[in-house]
Amino acid sequence: MSLDYVKFSSGFEKFMPKEYRDMVEHGPFGKKVSVSQMGSFKEVLEEHPMCAGCAMTLFIRLAMIAFPNPEDTITVGTAGCGRLAISQAAIPFVYGNYGDQNGVASGLSRGLRLRFGDKPKDVVVMAGDGGTADIGFQQVLHSWFRKERFTTIMLDNEVYGNTGGQESGMTNRGAVLKMAPLGKKFEKMDMLQMAKVAGCAYVATVVPNNPRRVESVIKKAVLIAREVGSTYIQAYTSCNIEYAIPTDKVMEDAKNVENDRYQFSEYITDEAKQFLTERYGYKEFLPKPAAPAPGLPKA
Amino acid sequence: MYLVADISVEICAAKSCKLCTQYCPEANTILYSDEMGKDKGFKYGSAYVAVDRCKGCAQCVWVCDNMAKNHAIKMIMIDQLPVAALTDNITYGEKSTTATLVSPTVG
Repeated sequence: MSLDYVKFSSGFEKFMPKEYRDMVEHGPFGKKVSVSQMGSFKEVLEEHPMCAGCAMTLFIRLAMIAFPNPEDTITVGTAGCGRLAISQAAIPFVYGNYGDQNGVASGLSRGLRLRFGDKPKDVVVMAGDGGTADIGFQQVLHSWFRKERFTTIMLDNEVYGNTGGQESGMTNRGAVLKMAPLGKKFEKMDMLQMAKVAGCAYVATVVPNNPRRVESVIKKAVLIAREVGSTYIQAYTSCNIEYAIPTDKVMEDAKNVENDRYQFSEYITDEAKQFLTERYGYKEFLPKPAAPAPGLPKA
Repeated sequence: MYLVADISVEICAAKSCKLCTQYCPEANTILYSDEMGKDKGFKYGSAYVAVDRCKGCAQCVWVCDNMAKNHAIKMIMIDQLPVAALTDNITYGEKSTTATLVSPTVG
């Protein structure tokens, strides 16, 4: 697991597909890339079978660019739409059984620390709302209680999109879906509060209609998870099929939902602030300089 | 036949906001080329679409019309595009890409 794992064995270059050659020669490995450079370098994400116009795909694409060290990252996922794209990237992907992704990631992250010591190896869990808040809920919460050092990202499309539109814990109250024709009778789960109570060092909500914010939030979460503790990001990634959103209106919907119930929020512990400032040179958490004292009134 | 996005170089190279490259859900589908605009005498480069990867969702059209307000992107039937970029004909450089445009249906 290093930069070398993507390179060609000598003599095989000419047999490799163009996409692979581009990725090795012009990919983000070993470089610093950002959202503003998109369109001018080869991304680690490749073509994938997800629906046209899916906001989840956009979020996954942005997340792959935001990883601080993609060559030293492993993604873990579970059943759901997201894994269809996450697995099509030049980043090792571990596919857990349904719901055990945070258990798998706990072992993986501990094993990597034993094997590589201080060299940072990032583990990032990306799973849907069903995998995180319903079926994997127990393992997710326990990994947070144990303060396992990896990032959990929930791709919250507020429905079981992969299996025909059943309600999930993250579906809003009253939402009528194909497999929930009477409307959901319970409130949407408040995973953010649960993450805070369980002791996560960094908790954020984000919507992919602001790519720079997605990038900054994921970078912070992955860096904090290297040493401080668990981090959790909840991203609204609409399902345009189950919620019947025309594909060209997906970003309009994201904007409306952001204004309605998914405002950007960020919770960060003092320890994590100190870690980011001292280790990675973040300036936003430094104490603000005191306002200059008002001048004495002129006589 | 199916719809793909088509970016007007004349409008894009005058503004060059690059928003569509950041909002496309498909990776390496809307790319950016310095040469495409500057060779034609415009101030900036232009974005272009690798049509073999475009799924026709038109998200870039909404972003260009409503967020950037440039109205540079239209959806067009692929057989009505005389020339377009295909992944096989795209070369990556240090800070930009170059594409040899060919007929998308003949290849």
